Amino acid sequence: MRVRSSILLFSFCLVLAVMPALAHHAFSAEYDAEKPVKLTGAVTKVEWENPHAWFYIDVKDSAGKVENWGFEMGSPNLLTRAGWGRNTLKVGEVVSVEASRAKSGANIANAKVVTLVSTGQKLFTGSSQGQATR
Amino acid sequence: MSMRSIVYCTALILVLGSNASAQWARTPDNTLPRTPDGKPNLAAKTPQARDGKPDLSGVWQSDINPTALPPGVQTVESITGFGAPRYFVDVTADFKPNEVPFQPAAGAQFAQRMQNQGKDDPAAHCQPTGVPAITNLPIPFKIVQTPGVVIVLYEDSSVFRQIFLDARKPVEDAQPRWMGYSTGKWEGDTLVVDSVGFTEKSWLDRLGHTHSNAMHVTERFRRRDLGHLEIEVTIEDPKTYTRPIKYTQKATLLPEEDLLEYFCTENEKDIEHYR
Repeated sequence: MRVRSSILLFSFCLVLAVMPALAHHAFSAEYDAEKPVKLTGAVTKVEWENPHAWFYIDVKDSAGKVENWGFEMGSPNLLTRAGWGRNTLKVGEVVSVEASRAKSGANIANAKVVTLVSTGQKLFTGSSQGQATR
Repeated sequence: MSMRSIVYCTALILVLGSNASAQWARTPDNTLPRTPDGKPNLAAKTPQARDGKPDLSGVWQSDINPTALPPGVQTVESITGFGAPRYFVDVTADFKPNEVPFQPAAGAQFAQRMQNQGKDDPAAHCQPTGVPAITNLPIPFKIVQTPGVVIVLYEDSSVFRQIFLDARKPVEDAQPRWMGYSTGKWEGDTLVVDSVGFTEKSWLDRLGHTHSNAMHVTERFRRRDLGHLEIEVTIEDPKTYTRPIKYTQKATLLPEEDLLEYFCTENEKDIEHYR
């Protein structure tokens, strides 16, 4: 059927059309996987609330100008079941974040990997299963 | 906690089924059959209710299926080598390409939703996920079975559903609802649930398959053993599809786990950034 053919064509163009772990919304509705960012700074705030946990860091550029960035994670429910608690990430802790930036161009991004700079530990786990090592 | 490199979205899904330790202090369930190493024996026989019926009660979560995403659809998980519940992504995943039996208007509406990349998804605007899609989410649900009514508590949106077993008839000209109106009856070891009275607002899956308010959903729940539930779903909606859509969603028991609350509007920050 012609309708289905055009749908399939759409589908092939729709890399990252869905992101099931983000039960609230599709990844591609907000973020662009082609806009990776890697930023380092001290945590200024943690929001441990549904539908997504967020944390914010102050990032200093080479000129010394400070900008605050927000990073979206999964839901606190998912994170809780992965062994996280609302105090796992603390205000003041310096972290390095690999993330995909919002299409809107705002200083927000979807966090993929968070590294504690003091120890080199990478966060977002809690299981010995299924490591997708980078 | 061991800290290892991981792509978090996939890891979170993977740990749900086996390593769930929730907000409550974990309460051991001494009634669960165990394997010699002390773990809950998910292959033990199906529990029986007092009335002799199979007891579907428990906290369940639909299984992810890493290898069986529909053709042409990529997810973050599929790119990283992991999966999602197949029918959560696409209820027509078992159809061959070009053979999804769309009525023409429904096909066009679906194509439009795909083009918008999920921005119109009701869930992305903190609306509920309806029946039958809500059972396919990678988020737990809890079945509480009594002889007269089976209650399903869905963690997603903290919503409930009642399946009446008292032979009542569906309400005439019912106000359309996200969960519909469900009645059920036992056929041998299978609970057969009929649901009608749906709002057209809900999506059948994350891709955006449509339905009309004339949709009739039949779900056949069978608890194969202690730890495994199969839900055979038939969606009949001649206004939208020229033939029924069928799939079987499998779910696994989360022993000693319980639900958490989930209110999407608590701290919603995404809508203003959809593009």
